[in-house]
Amino acid sequence: MKAVTIVGAGPAGLAAAAVLDAHDVPVLLVDEQPRPGGQIFRQPPASFPGAEAAYTAGYGWGRDLVTVPERPGIAFAGSTTALGVLHERVDEGGHGLVAGPAGPRTGPDRLSVVLRGPDGVRSYETAALLVATGAYDMPVPMPGWTLPGVVMAGAAQAMVKSQKMVPPGPIVLSGAHPLLLVAADQLVRSGAEISELVLTRGLPGPREAWAALPAVPGHVAMLAELGASVARLLRAGVRIRTRSTVVGATGADRVQAVQIDRLDPHGQPAGRPRTVDAATLVLGYGFQPSTELARQARCRLHHDAMAGGWVVDHDGTGRTTAPGVYVAGEPTGVAGAEASRAEGVLAALSIVADLGGAVSARQWRDARRGVRAAARFSRVVQELFQVPPALLDALATEETVVCRCELVSAGKLQSTLDRNPQMSTVSAVKLECRAGMGPCQGRYCEASVSRALCAARGRRPDQAGYAAAHLPIKPVPVSDLATLTTDPDAPASGGVR
Amino acid sequence: MSGYRRLDVRRGKPVQVTVDGEQIPAHQGETLAAALLAAGVDEFRRTRTGDPRAPLCHMGTCFECVLTVDGAPLTRACLTPVRDGMVVTREAGQS
Repeated sequence: MKAVTIVGAGPAGLAAAAVLDAHDVPVLLVDEQPRPGGQIFRQPPASFPGAEAAYTAGYGWGRDLVTVPERPGIAFAGSTTALGVLHERVDEGGHGLVAGPAGPRTGPDRLSVVLRGPDGVRSYETAALLVATGAYDMPVPMPGWTLPGVVMAGAAQAMVKSQKMVPPGPIVLSGAHPLLLVAADQLVRSGAEISELVLTRGLPGPREAWAALPAVPGHVAMLAELGASVARLLRAGVRIRTRSTVVGATGADRVQAVQIDRLDPHGQPAGRPRTVDAATLVLGYGFQPSTELARQARCRLHHDAMAGGWVVDHDGTGRTTAPGVYVAGEPTGVAGAEASRAEGVLAALSIVADLGGAVSARQWRDARRGVRAAARFSRVVQELFQVPPALLDALATEETVVCRCELVSAGKLQSTLDRNPQMSTVSAVKLECRAGMGPCQGRYCEASVSRALCAARGRRPDQAGYAAAHLPIKPVPVSDLATLTTDPDAPASGGVR
Repeated sequence: MSGYRRLDVRRGKPVQVTVDGEQIPAHQGETLAAALLAAGVDEFRRTRTGDPRAPLCHMGTCFECVLTVDGAPLTRACLTPVRDGMVVTREAGQS
């Protein structure tokens, strides 16, 4: 029996792997990190004796989940990047006719996943593909955000949780997401020198807490932990500024200071920033779904600002519009670890059913109930901590680099739009000014390009579209891809063209 | 230049990495990005306009930490564990 490939060993991928394994479906579980857990349960290196991942309140279930890949029916491929999906139509003689992304399924087609791991680039024929690729920190361009010393909240956390290192202080944290409070707490407890925590909103007051109560059952420990974090930060002497934001970072060759400004009632900087010394600036405005693999597989997407941007369409149980391709977790919308775990279970049941396995009515019901319960809580969190929309583009000045790879400034982006009034899609802008063509392939600028385009043309994000993703979805030396086409013994070698 | 501080936990065996000809001490299991930051390296690369860049995401997404590692260009330092004798050169002006 061919294995089901799962890309992403976070809560969604791990939960799905457990369900598939329980139904005797072999699993190939792929992740870029050397160990399973995803970003939320990122584990210290295996070579650090006794070190363990952090399982904060409400996430105790993660401890069991990270051991799922040890089961005999699951092959874990760590340090491995999924470069894309090949969908081959096969003729009667068993010869591949077409290699490319998914198309309409006809006949005995072959689905293959192209992986780059420690043993090179290989194409693996797979029974089905689950895209559980998670999310990454939402970029909000501002002056100085390319300076060394500026890191995303997820980065600061990874350094503490996994590498057991803390960034140099004084540290300023700025953003909108509760993760920022958790990260700050972890940093302080590790002895880091934090001077200020800057939040775009106020701390949730009693009224909001009351309003959120219907969503709380099962999450009391998590909310209590957030409150405890705030208390610990205040005790440690961290100044918490609310309804404010860092509007820029300055320094010669690295961050030396940041500028902090209050926000007006519309979420715009009031215009009288004060300067604070900082060796490290941590940014945490929220997350964007990681949908590149789903895009390359030709899954249909739609835009949902509240859910972090472009999200993958599915039938409510993880089936995408691409044959054999399923989705779970944050690529369906940023909703947190618990929602991801629940979606992973449900998508795995869909895969089992589609491969001809038996799924009981009770399993479906429990899985659906799990997804609904998690969604209620994450919706409250999303609403409470959304970035003021006006702020997203208020910080970039004309000189601010928007596309970090290709060095496209906000001013250049605007002049491209001004000079080309016919331009109406993100892809067209990318071709003209190269924003999104560098190694990160638009992950850190596409949303900015889309917002600028929409503002200039009066379009909606779903009209502006997104840049297509091609194989490889992460850049690799051409020589690596050559091995894929010249190795006749590689399983289901798909001719990459 | 103050770098990242290693917390007081047990680490992997000591290893040496050469970065642009200079020896940098590290521990097995550390990522190349973490080892460089702990050694006080701020600049992982320079853009074609000469601006310094360093890791932003530490999860393989941003490509700001790419280096040439044992001859392989465009290697993400945040996903690459250090290995004794690893030879690293920083990239300048590629993008």
